[in-house]
Amino acid sequence: MEANLITEGVKFMFLGMGTVFVFLIIMIGAVNMMSFIVHKFFPEPQAVKETVSVNTQQQDKKKIVAAIIAAIAYRKES
Amino acid sequence: MKKIVIKLFAFMMLFTFAFSVNALASSEHEQVTKEHSIHKEETYQPKPFGEMIVGFLKDTGVVALVSPDPDELSSTGEKMSDFHKSWGRVIMILIVFLLFYLGIAKGFEPLLLLPIAFGGLLANIPVANIAGPHGFLGVIYNMGLANEMFPIIIFMGVGAMTDFGPLLSNPKTALLGGAAQFGIFGTLVGAVALTHYGFVDFTLQQASAISIIGGADGPTSIFIATKLAPELLGAIAVASYSYMAMVPIIQPPIMKALTSEKERKIKMTTLRHVSRLEKLIFPILVLILAILVLPESTPLIGAFMFGNFLKESGVVERLNDTLQNALINITTIFLGLGVGSKLAADQFLVPDTMFIMILGIIAFSVGTAAGVLMAKFMNLFPGHKINPLIGSAGVSAVPMAARVSNKVGMEYDRTNMLLMHAMGPNVAGVIGSAVAAGVLISLFL
Repeated sequence: MEANLITEGVKFMFLGMGTVFVFLIIMIGAVNMMSFIVHKFFPEPQAVKETVSVNTQQQDKKKIVAAIIAAIAYRKES
Repeated sequence: MKKIVIKLFAFMMLFTFAFSVNALASSEHEQVTKEHSIHKEETYQPKPFGEMIVGFLKDTGVVALVSPDPDELSSTGEKMSDFHKSWGRVIMILIVFLLFYLGIAKGFEPLLLLPIAFGGLLANIPVANIAGPHGFLGVIYNMGLANEMFPIIIFMGVGAMTDFGPLLSNPKTALLGGAAQFGIFGTLVGAVALTHYGFVDFTLQQASAISIIGGADGPTSIFIATKLAPELLGAIAVASYSYMAMVPIIQPPIMKALTSEKERKIKMTTLRHVSRLEKLIFPILVLILAILVLPESTPLIGAFMFGNFLKESGVVERLNDTLQNALINITTIFLGLGVGSKLAADQFLVPDTMFIMILGIIAFSVGTAAGVLMAKFMNLFPGHKINPLIGSAGVSAVPMAARVSNKVGMEYDRTNMLLMHAMGPNVAGVIGSAVAAGVLISLFL
């Protein structure tokens, strides 16, 4: 009976490690596939992000120009 | 102020006098009432003052420790030996003080060690029976530990704190997290072998519960221990959390022994950017896999991925914040106290505890070694090389193990940043130990 206990433990070990590895390997495969699909069909709109920042930069510049013009006009008036 | 005290004292004297007079008057009836003593607790029996003082002195902690009540039962309702009622409690309280020291002065996982240790202090108080079914520690234990609720809630919080980005950008490092689970199953064989050669008497369930310490994951250990061997919960939780805190001491020698200088200097390619959508899909993907492969692991993985999904969704910032802070903090307090209730002398001061501590550290070391060796094995194949130092991060212990990898790597090359690379196997280790836990549960239930 006791001798069986060790073989039982070894069985647990193979089953356990096997399951863990099978699970992780399937997971790796699934993650790679998922990443591929996501990159192919739903690419992140990075380009849009850049243009947005450019836009805001331009807007900031416009604001600055407007402020300068207003300041000059104010000085001229006074 | 003085006057009030004197007045109070006088009042008390008056009361006690009145009682003792009453007691004298009714002492004749005592013979009669003794026969109805079944209801003694409900109806207060007046006693002479001297008897009251003696009775009170008999109830003090000093007397309870020096000459314990032979009829006193443990919190589980079993008989205890005199040692466990007297000196055992004193020793346990000293052990608790040691845990306080380790937590406060040495910074060993104080967030959990302090509640556990204080729970242990309370559980070893004689007479009061705080850890019993009606004491508050017992109530906390039955409320959330006996039914495995608290570890699950902790897992939700951990999920909300975890970033799977590094794992997603280099998925194959997940294998390192798998290899480190060998710590669990290798130790299982070791514990069974110890039983076989007659050193201890662990059942297969107990051996499994002990070996899960090798997963280096506190909530998982507690989850499994309460399910498979609740009588060992205290020792397993203390071993698990104290070894997790000792990761920076245990791991580096093993990592250095198994790698060459050249391997330790391997630089890994920078991680690619991971899009938000990938991070959002990942928790659902893993949960679906768990459902298909091993439904027994879904309580842990489901809770973990729930927390992570809320975080990555980005639209429930309030819930995410609660999971990461308020909820996990409250649960940690209760979990710690509940585990501490199992540090009662009659359950902790047994030879098994020593073997659990030894097996626990073996489990940790074997897990670390397996992770490092797996990384070396993976380097035999073509492809991007892996620095074997991140293999040790495959034992969960997030983020401590990853920091250790980074630190050891920096010792040999100051420009070699391994932290983010090591986070991949680190979080994979959490998934891996949850799967291993699922396997153990499915084998027994």
